[in-house]
Amino acid sequence: MEDEYFIASDLKRALEAEQVTVVGPVGSVADALRLIDHDGVDIAMLDVNLGTAMCFPVAERLRELGVPFMFLTGYDDWALPDVFRDVPLLPKPFVVGDVLAAVRRLSDSETVQ
Amino acid sequence: MRAEAHDETDLLATLARKNAVLQAINRIFHEALGATTEEALGRLCLAVAEDVTGASFSFMAELNPARDKLHDLAISDRAWATFNRDWAGEAPLAVPSHLELHGLYARVIFDEASVIANHPADHPDSIGTPHGHPQLESFLGVPLHRKGKVIGVLGLGNRAGGFREIDQLAVEELAPAIVQALCSKRDELALRESEQIRRVSMSLVPAMLWRTDAHGRNRVSNGQWELVTGMTDDGQTSDWLKAVHPDDRERTTTALRRSYATGEAMELQFRVRGREGQYRWYLCRKVRVGDIAGSGEQWFGAATDVHDMHLLEERQRRLVAELQHRVRNILTVVRSVFARTVEAGGALEDAADHFRGRLDALARTQAIVTQTASGMVDLENLIRDELLSVGVADGAALTIDGPDVQLPPRTAEAIGLAVHELAINAVKYGALKMAKASLDIRWTTDMDCGDGPRVHLIWVERGVPAVAISPERQGFGTELIREALPYQYGADTHLTFMGGGVRCSISLPLHEEGKTH
Repeated sequence: MEDEYFIASDLKRALEAEQVTVVGPVGSVADALRLIDHDGVDIAMLDVNLGTAMCFPVAERLRELGVPFMFLTGYDDWALPDVFRDVPLLPKPFVVGDVLAAVRRLSDSETVQ
Repeated sequence: MRAEAHDETDLLATLARKNAVLQAINRIFHEALGATTEEALGRLCLAVAEDVTGASFSFMAELNPARDKLHDLAISDRAWATFNRDWAGEAPLAVPSHLELHGLYARVIFDEASVIANHPADHPDSIGTPHGHPQLESFLGVPLHRKGKVIGVLGLGNRAGGFREIDQLAVEELAPAIVQALCSKRDELALRESEQIRRVSMSLVPAMLWRTDAHGRNRVSNGQWELVTGMTDDGQTSDWLKAVHPDDRERTTTALRRSYATGEAMELQFRVRGREGQYRWYLCRKVRVGDIAGSGEQWFGAATDVHDMHLLEERQRRLVAELQHRVRNILTVVRSVFARTVEAGGALEDAADHFRGRLDALARTQAIVTQTASGMVDLENLIRDELLSVGVADGAALTIDGPDVQLPPRTAEAIGLAVHELAINAVKYGALKMAKASLDIRWTTDMDCGDGPRVHLIWVERGVPAVAISPERQGFGTELIREALPYQYGADTHLTFMGGGVRCSISLPLHEEGKTH
């Protein structure tokens, strides 16, 4: 989930180049929740600030479902609510290599679960 | 017999004098209560002394701390009446001060003994009387003592027949009572003044102040609690806790209990409900003070409103976070735009030109978005600014037409970027390059859309000969209009390259909330 089209599009390209199936991106909380409930996701990357809303309802839903996720954000972690302090964080602007490494770690943690 | 009769007369006279003095003392202490100033009390004492002796006027003065000058404490009412009669319009308005130590009254002080002068003009210490002073026919001066030291003098003037020894004795007996009454009044006034200063200071300080015993009971406060919360505090119960935010109550009581148990000072922040029902943050401090005047251990507390500071901190935190978000997001977008510009290929110079143009367009829209965080952006101005940035001003071939529309910042951002791409394209390949071509930019608003009001913008180029579509034209600008605007701003877009030029329609929500789809 990422509201900024060019960032979303770059991420999608980079992930698809690594044979990751991307079901997003989506730019809104409503679209993200629909995607989670209808299509199902294995792991998720969430942009924290969606311009006019924050991604936290989506993070809560993913947590309920036990889906591993990470935040993609321009914020330092102190700007996040306490309950999400333990969520992995990839700071913007990011390097594609870091994104892929983080996705790998997330999918490993999913396998363990 | 004669001697006995004489003794008896003396005895009766002494008794009468003692009685008169006792009555006089009684009168001084009784009426002293009502006197609001030292001077008023002084006049009262002088009136009593005049009544006891039969003097026509009197004054009372006190040595200054350096003991080299006298300050009048009071001049009797009879003296004032004489002054005002004999010296109409010229009599002093207040009792004189800084009197030189000389004359008959100074003799009393130097000798620390009473002086009777029934022919004052002949007295060796006589200095005469100042202008306006009633003619002095007789004088009785009695020293005023306190703690074994002379502190001043009481002077009486003009008794019919002159002053007698019994007059002197009477005033000497009266003097300690007068000094006592004056000192008490002085202490009382000082105490009242300091109490008043304390009261005013406490009511001025924008803080709740209170005092309790060692168990938090018998609270006495400056009334701010009642003012802020609208609750009355009985000073005994813990009812005040009901005004503390439910989430803060437990740690507040825990901290209070701990400080009462250990005797340690307490500092704590909690929220208090105001009379309107809104909660505000308070900083509360409490310290123990040992026994004061036998009333046992006491605690003093103060609570100040620190809510605005909390709000400012929160606001600052949000602003810093927002700034981080914007800066890092825009850097990511810039990198993405750069990658796309380079991917489109072409000469390095062209790529640099394109990138610079896009960066400028981004900068303009960013400026608009931040400058109008609460305001709106005029659509026509936005379009003209973007055209100007690529060197296009009004001309016969250019039509810009539509109603006044104020765009919210995000909509303006989307349209700004799209118009920039369309304009660049038109300057390089389209209607703004060809001599006989024309460009129409028109817009309408639709207030009755299902999702709320929208603005429809149409960009139509005419008279552009069909050219091979440049690879660049399928690059960044196309992706922006076809993909990014719908994704990011909830737009409906159509972009075609028909014979005659580019046709583009963009429909965008006019409300920020309508962004997502």
